[in-house]
Amino acid sequence: MTALGPGVRRRMLLRSLTVQGSWNYQTLIGTGLAFILVPALREVHAGDPEGLRRALGRHTELFNSHPYLAAVAAGAVARLEADGAPPEMVARFKAAVRGSLGTLGDRLVWLMWRPMAVLLGLGLVLAGAAWWVGAAAFLLVFNALHLWMRAWGLRAGLRDGLQIGATLRSAPFQALGDRAAKVGSALAGFAAALAVAAPGTRPWEWAAGAAAAFLGIVLGPRVRPAAAAAMLLALAAGLVLART
Amino acid sequence: MLSPAQTAAAAVLGGLLALDGTSVAQVMVSRPFVAAALGGVVVGHPAQGMAIGIVLEALHLAVLPVGASRYPEGGPAAVAAGAVYAAAQAPPAAASATLLIAVLCALALEWIGGRSVIALRQANARFAGAPPEGLTPGALARRHGTPIALDFARGAVLALLGVIGVGALLSAADLSGFPPVAPGTVVRLAAVAGIASALRLFGRANYPFFLAGGAAGALVAWLR
Repeated sequence: MTALGPGVRRRMLLRSLTVQGSWNYQTLIGTGLAFILVPALREVHAGDPEGLRRALGRHTELFNSHPYLAAVAAGAVARLEADGAPPEMVARFKAAVRGSLGTLGDRLVWLMWRPMAVLLGLGLVLAGAAWWVGAAAFLLVFNALHLWMRAWGLRAGLRDGLQIGATLRSAPFQALGDRAAKVGSALAGFAAALAVAAPGTRPWEWAAGAAAAFLGIVLGPRVRPAAAAAMLLALAAGLVLART
Repeated sequence: MLSPAQTAAAAVLGGLLALDGTSVAQVMVSRPFVAAALGGVVVGHPAQGMAIGIVLEALHLAVLPVGASRYPEGGPAAVAAGAVYAAAQAPPAAASATLLIAVLCALALEWIGGRSVIALRQANARFAGAPPEGLTPGALARRHGTPIALDFARGAVLALLGVIGVGALLSAADLSGFPPVAPGTVVRLAAVAGIASALRLFGRANYPFFLAGGAAGALVAWLR
């Protein structure tokens, strides 16, 4: 068993910021995971360059997870390698955790937290705050969770190794996501109303705004092509009117 | 039009924000409303950059980078559109038509950006995996670092082409006689629809919160 010091954890945390740097359709973030593991594997295989080469080669295999939770897997794999776990067990562990780390992170971060933080920034700017206030509010709120997830995940992985599943189940991800969804929904209504409002907004524009909001809710992600088509039509109509 | 120095700065910013989108850090300075404001900073008018950024952000809210999904790329496009729109300083009569054209150009650039991300990820496969004898830390760093450098170059080229292309289009477009109100209303309604589309992410159980937020927003709008 090899002790992994705080220096190793710091270097792994910094490297985790680039985990998706070599994203590809063959091994997804496999190379990125191996890149995070280098400081730990250097300690584990100190004085054994051949062992280090083989271990790094093994860890470039297919892997995927939410990028912020990749640190959980990296920490746990580093723990297993430091404890001398056989390569087959490490490979099985990586295959077992990658699905749940992806689902957990996608739901909390991409579906709930990020839209909520974006809507906070948009709402502030639409309510009259300076551009940098909205941008700073979004970046602070979003990254408070983002950076905590990376640091907590790596620490928990290094500490718990194979037992990380129990730690993940007890983490407050579900409750955090539910609260973010409630706040985000209120902020969406707030920002949508302010986006309709402009000096001299006429009653029909309020009605059109309500209809647009309804359409947006119905269309969901398909709102982009619909909005682009409506704007193209408006452009074409404007060009025709300008020429006549 | 942007000066050569401003164009170069926008290209570098586009490259950095392309990295933030996926490859490095992901602290989300690449979100369209932040990126467009930064594009505005390049030409000295961040608030104008933010104005187009709000619309682009609203239409980007429901885009999810989940797994290996394919999605439009917001950062470099927003930098280019934000910088060009802010630099245009269109007169009030043409402002909303200029905004409409800039938003449409940015959406097209986002689509091109998304396609270029797919192409890069396919090309990155040549750096994937390892030979049977394994990898030294240096070799691994090269396999990981080269795609990051390519991603930066991709974003910079995209922002550069965007600044040149959108700038040329706005300079050439004759917007005299364009109806002044309608384009602005259409853009605002598109933003409203985009913002409301986020509710699909949060779930139907949260509709009452949306309505309460809408009432609060209407009250704020009425009070000011």
